[in-house]
Amino acid sequence: MTLMATTRRKGPPELTLAVLAVVGFVALAIATGGNLLSAGTLEAFFRFLAVPIVIGLSQMVVLAVGQMNLSVGALTGFCAMAAAWLMLEAGLPAPIAVLAALALGLAVGVANGVLVVLTRINGFIVTLATMTIIQGLRYGVNGPDTYQGYSAGLRAFGRASVLGLPAVFLVAIAVAVLVGLYFSRTVPGRKLLASGGSPFAARLSGISNDRSLITAHGLSGLLAGVAAVITVAASGSVNATIGDDLLLPSFAAPIIGGVALTGGMVSVTGTVLAAFLIRLVDVMQAQFGINPRWVDLIIGAVVLGAVLLGTARQKLQERSP
Amino acid sequence: MLVAENLVKTFPGVRALDNANLTLRPGSVHALLGENGAGKSTLVKLLTGVYRPDGGRITWDGEELHFGGPLDAQRAGIGVVHQERNLIPAFSVAENIVLHHLPGKAGWLDKRRMRTEARRCLDLLEVELDPDTPVSRLSVAQGQLVEIAKALSLDSKVLLLDEPTASLTGDEADRLYTVVRRLRDSGRAVVLVSHKLEEVFAVADTVTVLRDGRSVAEAEPLTGYTQSEIVDLMVGRAYASIELPERRVDENRPPALRLTGVSTAIGHRDISLAVRPGEILGLYGLVGAGRSELAKAVLGLERITAGTVEVHGEPARIKDVGEALRRYRLGYVTEDRKDEGLFLDQTVARNIAVTVWRRLSRAGLVPDRRERVLAETYVERLGIRVSSPQQLAGQLSGGNQQKVSLAKWLAAECDILIVDEPTVGIDVRTKAAFHELIAGLAAEGLALLLISSDLPETVVLADRIAVMSDLRIVGELDNDHDYPRMSQQIIRMIHAETPTAPPTTLSTAEG
Amino acid sequence: MTVQAEKAAPAETTKPRRIPLWANPRIGLVVLLVLLVALFTVLRPAFLDTRLTLTPLQSDISVYLVVGLAQLSVLSLGHMNLAVGRMAATSAFAMGLTHDKLGAGLIVSLAAGLLVGALLGALAGLIISRTGVNSFVVTLAMDFALVGLITILYASATDGVAFPTMPAGMEALRFDTFADYCLGDVCGPRVPLVVPIAIAAALLVGLLFRSARLGREILMTGSNVRAAELSGIPTRTRIVQAHALSGLIAALAGFLLAANNGAFSASIGDSFLLPSFLAPVLGGTLLAGGAVSVLGTALGATLTQVIYKGLNLLQFQLDQLQLYIGLVLIAALSLDRARHVLAERRGAKL
Repeated sequence: MTLMATTRRKGPPELTLAVLAVVGFVALAIATGGNLLSAGTLEAFFRFLAVPIVIGLSQMVVLAVGQMNLSVGALTGFCAMAAAWLMLEAGLPAPIAVLAALALGLAVGVANGVLVVLTRINGFIVTLATMTIIQGLRYGVNGPDTYQGYSAGLRAFGRASVLGLPAVFLVAIAVAVLVGLYFSRTVPGRKLLASGGSPFAARLSGISNDRSLITAHGLSGLLAGVAAVITVAASGSVNATIGDDLLLPSFAAPIIGGVALTGGMVSVTGTVLAAFLIRLVDVMQAQFGINPRWVDLIIGAVVLGAVLLGTARQKLQERSP
Repeated sequence: MLVAENLVKTFPGVRALDNANLTLRPGSVHALLGENGAGKSTLVKLLTGVYRPDGGRITWDGEELHFGGPLDAQRAGIGVVHQERNLIPAFSVAENIVLHHLPGKAGWLDKRRMRTEARRCLDLLEVELDPDTPVSRLSVAQGQLVEIAKALSLDSKVLLLDEPTASLTGDEADRLYTVVRRLRDSGRAVVLVSHKLEEVFAVADTVTVLRDGRSVAEAEPLTGYTQSEIVDLMVGRAYASIELPERRVDENRPPALRLTGVSTAIGHRDISLAVRPGEILGLYGLVGAGRSELAKAVLGLERITAGTVEVHGEPARIKDVGEALRRYRLGYVTEDRKDEGLFLDQTVARNIAVTVWRRLSRAGLVPDRRERVLAETYVERLGIRVSSPQQLAGQLSGGNQQKVSLAKWLAAECDILIVDEPTVGIDVRTKAAFHELIAGLAAEGLALLLISSDLPETVVLADRIAVMSDLRIVGELDNDHDYPRMSQQIIRMIHAETPTAPPTTLSTAEG
Repeated sequence: MTVQAEKAAPAETTKPRRIPLWANPRIGLVVLLVLLVALFTVLRPAFLDTRLTLTPLQSDISVYLVVGLAQLSVLSLGHMNLAVGRMAATSAFAMGLTHDKLGAGLIVSLAAGLLVGALLGALAGLIISRTGVNSFVVTLAMDFALVGLITILYASATDGVAFPTMPAGMEALRFDTFADYCLGDVCGPRVPLVVPIAIAAALLVGLLFRSARLGREILMTGSNVRAAELSGIPTRTRIVQAHALSGLIAALAGFLLAANNGAFSASIGDSFLLPSFLAPVLGGTLLAGGAVSVLGTALGATLTQVIYKGLNLLQFQLDQLQLYIGLVLIAALSLDRARHVLAERRGAKL
C-alpha cells in the first residue's frame, strides 16, 4: 500500500506542456509564414510574456500554502501607479521608484497574510476584500488619467533587448529561476512547502504555519510589485485599469502548469510553460482574428479540466493498493 | 527513567484515567495493553503533551515534567509514531527525517548534511533506504520506519509506537520487530501500544495493563504471564453486572436480518449471521476485525461482492442509508458519534428528528411543534439530561450525546438496529443505564446487532455471540451469561489464529 | 467551536447562556444602520428625499438583497458560488433572447431566465457532488468559462452588448412605484415595484431554511455531511438542489437589475461578487455552513447600499466607494472573529 501522492515528480505534466509549447510554437510560425520569427514580432512575443510569467508565479506562491490571492491584479496596478506617481509627481529617480514599488507590493502582501492569520477566515474572502480596497486606491492616485513620459531610462530598459530577447523577459526568467531555487533549495522555502503539504506534520516539527502563510502572501505581493515595475517599463504609460485583466491569467498559468490547489507543491517550469502556451493562444487569436472571448472560454474550460484531472489522479492513487 | 504516577484525566462525564501508572526503564520494550476505552490513547496523549493531566505527575529521572504542548514532549526526548502517517509527501526521506531542524547555510539548504544525518538515523535502525527517495513513493511500512528515524533524529530516548502493525504484512511486521529490538539494544525505551497479543509476547519485555483507567498490572515482566492471564487482566471482573430482566427469545420466529455468505469489497469473506426479532446478537471482535465495515456494507455504503442480505425473509440490496431506513426500517447507530452520529452545532431536537422529517412534515414544511414534541418524547424516554430540546448537541456529555444518537433511530421506529460500540467513552453508571435500555428494546421486539469490543458488555447483553476476527466470523456461541466461561471461550476463538497468518489490511482502522 | 461547559461530577449539562445583546449581530446592524442614516442625513439632508434618494435606494437594496440570497443558498452547505454574477448575466441573456427573438412576454422570459440559472447552478452542484472538488474551484472555473461565453452570446444575438428591447411591463418595474397606482384618491407609498419581488424571494428562502424539510436537510448536510449521509439524507441531491437554487436566485437578481437599468446587457452581474458575500456575512451567516440568516442578509444588504448611497451623495467617487466597502467587509470579519473569541471565553454559543 503506497502512501498517497500529492505530488508528481518532474514527469508527464511538465513534459506534456513542453511538447505542446514546442509544437504550438512551430505550428504558429508556419501558419504566419515565418512572420512570427522575424525580429520585431518575436521580440514582442516575449516582451508580453514577461508579466504573465511573473503574475503566474505570484499566484503560485500562495497556492503553495493552499491559499489564494485575489488581489494580485489590482496590486500590480496600484504599485505601477505608485511608481509612476513617485517619478512624475514626487520627482524621484527611477531606481528609487522601482524599489518603492517593490516595497509597496511586499507590504500589502504581508498585510494580506496578517489579516488571514488574524481573522482565521478563508484567504479568498480576505483577498476579495483587499482586492476591492486596492481597486479603489488605484484610482486615488491619479483618477482616471494616464501617467506617461516618466523616466526615459526606465522606458528604454523596457524596450531594450539582449541577443534578441527583451530585457524584461529576461528579468521575468531570472525571477522564475530565483523562485524555483527558493522552493527547492532554501530552508524557508522548504518550510513553506511543508506547511502547505501537511500543516499538522509541519507543526509537529516546529514549523510555524502562520509564519508560512504571511511569508507566502508577502512574496506574492512582492512579485506583484515586480510585475508592476515591468509594466511601467515596458508599456511606457500606466493608468488605473492596469491589473483588471490579470486575475484569470494569474490562476490559469499555475493550474494548467500542474500546481495543486491544495498546496504543498509548486512547479515553476509548469507555470512558465503554461504562461507561454497562453501567450501562444493570445497571438493565435490576434493573428486569426478569433473573438478574444473564445480564448477566455477555452482557458476557463482547460483550467477546470486541469483541476478535475488532478483530483481524479489523486483519487486513483489513493485507491491503488 | 520515565515514570508516570497516579495520572488522572477527566473529560465531561467520564474519568478516562483514574490513577494510572507507567514506569519505563532504558533499554526495554514495554507493552501497553488494554481494551477499547481503557485509557491507552489518553495515556499516550498525556505522555506526548497533547493533553495535560488533571492529577498525578510525569517525571524523568526524578524531575517533574510539564508539557505545554507536543513540542515540549518532543524536546524532552519522547518520540511517537502514530497510526496515521505524519510525513510531508512531497519531500524526500531525508528531508522528512530532519524536518524539525532543516540544516542550512545562510538560508540555503545543506543537502549533504541532511543526507548524512538521515543516513545516521537510518543506519541506527539498519534500514536500507535511499534518503533521496520522495516519501510519496514509500509503502506504509517504509513510511513508518522513516518516522522512527525521525524520532531518532530528534534524539528521542523514549519511543511510543501506536498500533504499529495495524496495516503491515507479516514480513513487514517482522522487520519492524527487528528494528524495535535494535532500538532497545541501543538503550532506548520503546512503548508498544497494541491489541495483538502474539506481537506483544514476541517483542516486549514488560507490560502494563490498563483497565477502566487504572493500571491493573504495572511494568510486570512478561515472562511471568500466559496469554490467558493477560486477557483476564484486560477484561477483568471489575464489571458489576446488573440485573437485567429475563428475556425469552422465540426461536421459531424467522430472522429479521440474515446475512448468508456475504463477502465485501473490503475483504470480508463468507459472513453468515442472523438476528431474530427480540434477540440481541453480539458481534464481538478486536479493533480492526472489520465489524463496522460490515455494518456499513449492509447499509449500502460499501460494496457487497457475494452472498445475500435478507430482511424479514426478503432479499435486500440496500443502496443507501435512506433506503435502509424508510424501506427496511433498519437503523445504524454509528460508532463515532461525534463525527458520524451527531450534528454538534445543531439542536438536540433537530438531531433526533432528522430521520423522520418526512413523516412529520405537512406539504413539505416541518411544524416546529411536532418536532419539539417528538424530541421531548424521546428525551424523556431515554432520560437525556438537557436544559431544553433547543440545546446544542455539542454541549451535552458523552453519555447524553450517545442517547441522542440512539434516539433518532428510535424516533424512526426501526425494528432492526445495528448498534456500534454504544458505550465507548461513557462512565460506568451511564453504561449500565444504556444496557438496560438496549435490553429493553429487545424486550419490545426489536432485532439488535450489537457490535462491541467490550467483552463484559457483550456477555451481559447478548443472547448469542458471533466472534469476528480479521474480516471473518471465527465462531458463534449461545450465551449463558456466565462471564468466566464465555470470556475464555471467546478469547480462545480469537487467538486460535496462528500467529503467522498475515493480517488483512484495512484502509480504515476500527475505532 | 462548541464548548463543553460541564464539570465531571454533578451537573451533566448547562443552560445555554443568553448571548449578551451587544453581541447579537442583527441588533448591531440595526443600530449601525440607524446611526449611518442619521449621519448621512445630517451631512446631506437630501438623503431623506424620497424621490431623489430613498426610492432608488430601495431598488438597489432589492437587487442586492436577492444577490445576497443567491450566495446564502450555498453558504448553507458551507460552499461558495463564485459565479453568481455570470449566472445572472447568462440568465439575463436567456430572458432577453426569448423576448427579442421569440417575442415572449414578461412572465415567459423571466421563466426562461430562471430555468437557465437553475440549470447552471445544478451543473455546478452536480460537478461538486460527483467529483468532490471544492465548490470554490468549480464555481471559479465556471465563472471564467461563463465570462467568455456571455460576450460571445451577446455579440452573436445582438448588435453589441445588450438587447434593444425589453418585455412590456419592465418599463413599469423600472420607473413606477406604488404611488403611481391609485384606488380613487388613495395612492400607494413611494415604494418601487421591484421591492415586493425581493421581499417575496426573501420570505420564500427564509421559509425554506426555517421550516421546509428540504431546507433543513441542506443545513444538516452543511453541518456534517458524513452524519447527514448516515442519517438517511440524500446528500448528493441536496448539494445539487442548493446550487440550483443559488443559480435560480442569481437569475432573479439579474432580472431585477435589468429592470432597474432598463436593458438585458452583458455587464449584468459584474458587481455581484463582493456584495453576495458581504450581505450574508454581515448578517451573521456562517461561512462554515449549517446556519443561515435571511433577516441578517436583508440587514446586511440594506447597510451596504446605504453606505454606497450616502457616500455617493457626499460625492465620493466610485473607486472610493469600493475602498470603503472593502474596509467594511474586513472590519465586519474582524469583529465577527472578535465576537466569537469573546463569546467562547464566556462560555456562550453563538
